[in-house]
Amino acid sequence: MTQAARELQAALSLDGDAVTREGNGAPHLVGSACGDCGKRVFPPTDVCPDCMSENMRRLALSRRGTLYSWSVVHAAPRGWTLPFVAGYVDLPEGVRVFAHIVGGDPKALAFDMTVETTISVLGNDDEGRALDGFAFAPVVKEGDA
Amino acid sequence: MRDVAVIGAGMIPFGKFPDRTLDAIAWPAVKHAIEDAGIPKKDIEAAYCGTALGGMMAGQRILKRLGITGLPIVNIENACSSSSSAFREAWIAVGAGVYDAVLVIGVEKLTRFGGGTLPLEKEDWEVAHGLVMPALYAMRARRYMHEYGLTVEQLARVSVKARRHGALNPDAQMRKETTVEEVNAARPVAEPFTLFHCCPSGDGAAAVIVVAADRAARYGVTPVRVAGSELTSGRYVTGFRDMTSPEITVRGAKELYETAGIGPEDVNVAEVHDAFTIAELMYYEALGFCARGEAARLLEDGETSLGGRIPVNPSGGLLAKGHPIGATGVAQIVEIVRQLRGQCGPRQVEGAKVGLTHCTGGGVSGFDHGVCSIHLFSR
Repeated sequence: MTQAARELQAALSLDGDAVTREGNGAPHLVGSACGDCGKRVFPPTDVCPDCMSENMRRLALSRRGTLYSWSVVHAAPRGWTLPFVAGYVDLPEGVRVFAHIVGGDPKALAFDMTVETTISVLGNDDEGRALDGFAFAPVVKEGDA
Repeated sequence: MRDVAVIGAGMIPFGKFPDRTLDAIAWPAVKHAIEDAGIPKKDIEAAYCGTALGGMMAGQRILKRLGITGLPIVNIENACSSSSSAFREAWIAVGAGVYDAVLVIGVEKLTRFGGGTLPLEKEDWEVAHGLVMPALYAMRARRYMHEYGLTVEQLARVSVKARRHGALNPDAQMRKETTVEEVNAARPVAEPFTLFHCCPSGDGAAAVIVVAADRAARYGVTPVRVAGSELTSGRYVTGFRDMTSPEITVRGAKELYETAGIGPEDVNVAEVHDAFTIAELMYYEALGFCARGEAARLLEDGETSLGGRIPVNPSGGLLAKGHPIGATGVAQIVEIVRQLRGQCGPRQVEGAKVGLTHCTGGGVSGFDHGVCSIHLFSR
């Protein structure tokens, strides 16, 4: 693991080893693929939920997916910045990811629109420090993946 | 399996009792069920206590208050299906002939958490990333609205119906009727839900006495037969799942109807898990009361209101009766037992012979729900 990757993981206390950055610095999620049956999973796991194999490999997930549904959330435990948008995003690898949806007016969100992985401040920890984590944002311009 | 019957049912009015301990909340419900059954407490051979967040040995803490000790007491946690799961364990044990008479308790004290959304397991991935139950159901609602053209006004009518029924139930937490306008003007919780699209948080307890059917006569009360019992977990799915149809309830209902030889057309009254407005509509479809996409019409036609073809949640349901989560499963059974005995006064479903209870429990990533328990009752 590179120094940059270690620093990223330390900063993203929510996400553990489920987020990394490409060479150009763009964040993407990491899941697992079963080396025996091919099952794909997010977040990463050490045992296959289909065939129980422990031969799991890290799987880099596409940065872009589609928004299945979402809700503007006004009530949540202490720590989360309210309101926030919660959503389910389907990635082309066949995994569904629960994530905060950031970047712009929630009224502009649409079913099955393309969204892209980003890092965002999602709340604060018990000491008041900003809590960063992965999120998805609508793709506003083509070609800026 | 032997035939199994419920011969006693009791509960306390649901509400907020922050100054009472869990055992103080629960013992009156237990005593009520025992007195209702007319069973000497020495005849009770085992007790099953369902609670999700009530802490260690809730059953022992409750039953020592009534001197029901020195018997097997098992505490069961299965989220919002904790006491419906406890009831199923009782049904299995009595049906198998291990015991002839047992007690089932459901209890919860949510005021200990000081209000807000239901505390979920923080080790769960999605919970750790901010998932709360209203948001999960809200995302189901929004997708359902998108696919079937359901409107927020139609959704609100679920709450209006629940409160109309709850106003007739002295055990309900919310006894004031409401309007579509009032529901949608309440403060937002998780859009499209306002507060009145969500079941209230609170405290409560319920209890039933379960016996071998051939023992019921000796207690001189009208037995209500357990006509079918189903419990299943969700299927863990890592990819796409259709959130407009609750997989676990569709599958559970199908299994139950097949094994019981009773179909949805035979059900006269149902208590379903309407934790949020959208849930009740999706369960009309999942339980076979109408086809996919037709739930709003079923509601608007009055079919699921008192006086309709298949009244759903005559008690007010979770939305109006309240949802102290571990108590809910047994409280649903209490309502159906009373309905089948004809004891429900102004909210009585006339001539009800077959009743259904349906309870789910969620909050774990990758499942539609973690658990679903459905029971059928007949007289």
